[in-house]
Amino acid sequence: MSIQAKKLNYTYQVGTPLEHVALQDVSINIEDGSYTAIVGHTGSGKSTLLQHLNGLLKPTSGEISINGYTIDNTTKNKELGKLRKEVGFVFQFPEAQLFEETVLKDIAFAPKNFGKSEDEAKKIAREKAKLVALPEEVLEKSPFELSGGQMRRVAIAGILAMEPKVLVLDEPTAGLDPEGRHQMMEMFNRLHKDENLTIILVTHQMNDVAEYADHVIVLESGKIIADSTPKELFSDPEWLKNHHLNLPQTTDFAYKLFDKLALSKSSIPLKSEELADEILKILGGNLNE
Amino acid sequence: MNKLLLGRYINGNSLIHRMDPRSKLALSFYFIGIIFLANNWQTYLLLIAFTFLGVLLSKIKLSFFIKGIIPLVWLILFTVLLQVFFTNGGHVFWHWGPFTLSKYGLVNGVYVFFRFVLIIVMSTLLTLTTSPLEISDAMESLLKPLKYLKVPVYEISLMLSIALRFVPTLMDETAKIMNAQRSRGVNFGEGSLVEQVKAVIPILIPLFVSSFNRAEDLATAMEARGYRGGEGRTKFRVHVWKMRDTMTIIAFAVLTIALVILKN
Repeated sequence: MSIQAKKLNYTYQVGTPLEHVALQDVSINIEDGSYTAIVGHTGSGKSTLLQHLNGLLKPTSGEISINGYTIDNTTKNKELGKLRKEVGFVFQFPEAQLFEETVLKDIAFAPKNFGKSEDEAKKIAREKAKLVALPEEVLEKSPFELSGGQMRRVAIAGILAMEPKVLVLDEPTAGLDPEGRHQMMEMFNRLHKDENLTIILVTHQMNDVAEYADHVIVLESGKIIADSTPKELFSDPEWLKNHHLNLPQTTDFAYKLFDKLALSKSSIPLKSEELADEILKILGGNLNE
Repeated sequence: MNKLLLGRYINGNSLIHRMDPRSKLALSFYFIGIIFLANNWQTYLLLIAFTFLGVLLSKIKLSFFIKGIIPLVWLILFTVLLQVFFTNGGHVFWHWGPFTLSKYGLVNGVYVFFRFVLIIVMSTLLTLTTSPLEISDAMESLLKPLKYLKVPVYEISLMLSIALRFVPTLMDETAKIMNAQRSRGVNFGEGSLVEQVKAVIPILIPLFVSSFNRAEDLATAMEARGYRGGEGRTKFRVHVWKMRDTMTIIAFAVLTIALVILKN
């Protein structure tokens, strides 16, 4: 399920005074089973790029190929149905998509659309509800009776029920409390590890990028300005500052600490465990023993 | 949907953009009224020239207006053809069953065509050069006399301005929900009529629910900021009547007199 975009361009409202170029010559390569983070400012084209990943938008020019499907501006809408099953798309504030009478029916909606029988769909729905930690008793309730956090879980379960091979997440934890945010990110990470799901995450949380992603793409005004690993990206604070991006908290702290102690910054930690190891090293002993 | 121009606003700083919205709105309605005064080619020519002048003064490209008319072309054609084939009178060129192609019908068809185009261009000109907020302000002050007839003018204009403010938000929301449901395997605009109607449910329900939530939040936020109804409020945007507004009114008056003289 690798994804390649070649010289992708996208312009909104071509031929009107409201014409607006959203993506310019975007070429990316996302490997099968990778965890890619896409970061950039609001309006940098992140969401536009995401909508190309399951054919909601077709490129104005250039092409994108997803697991053998190639989409360019001549692709017919009919051919995109199969693609949408393989790429699960969790929109920002996905709770806005709930509509069925019961939670269970809502989760089963997508599998039914993709040809599963009523019973099969319900069985999958129950599994996925468990996966996102929804209590059994809410399944027969109306989705509109639930709390915001639970609605979010229902919506995400509804996407996972399609059993996609690629999961596209557009700020999945926006507006959640820290606990819910952590649980949700851990759940996605588990899916990535256990089921070899390719994950594409759009986020403003650099901590999440450092913690989970193995590939990071930075967009600015519709162009790719960096395409590397988090380690490389966060090793140049100067560059990040120039492009109005932040360091993860851990890395920020490490830089300050290393500065104070006048140490070399050759291996800069991204995760808190790595930082702890570094500090142990500095202290010159292994406290675990 | 994207192509429809009517109701969009394009920021600019032309003479027409800077006009008082009250005079713009009133004159647009007035223009629709006086279009029906025209009944020969001289009067139509005069109206076309006048409209063209308006478009020119707005500094928005003419091609843009033409593109705005294209989505409505079927409606126009339908009406024109109805006129052409069902109007009797004058020399008859062709006749078949209930259809007649007469001189009178042809002329009427052309007039109806221009009437349509002029009304569309003029109202597009209004919405392109006047922001929705200005329009609702203008509505409020034009409706003011109705207050003496116990019409809740203030409430109507408040609802109008809130409605106008939320049109783009709801459009965005609709697009987002449609995309979300498409990603879950809903195909819009495909299949039989029943299937197509069924496909609307997953958009409509979330849209209604979010509108209710939005209304509740907005009402709470308004109350929290001290909103207690229309009486005794002051205005932030005060419109000032300028020389150019008087001039436009004179131009419209001259146009009306010319039309009355030229029509037969």
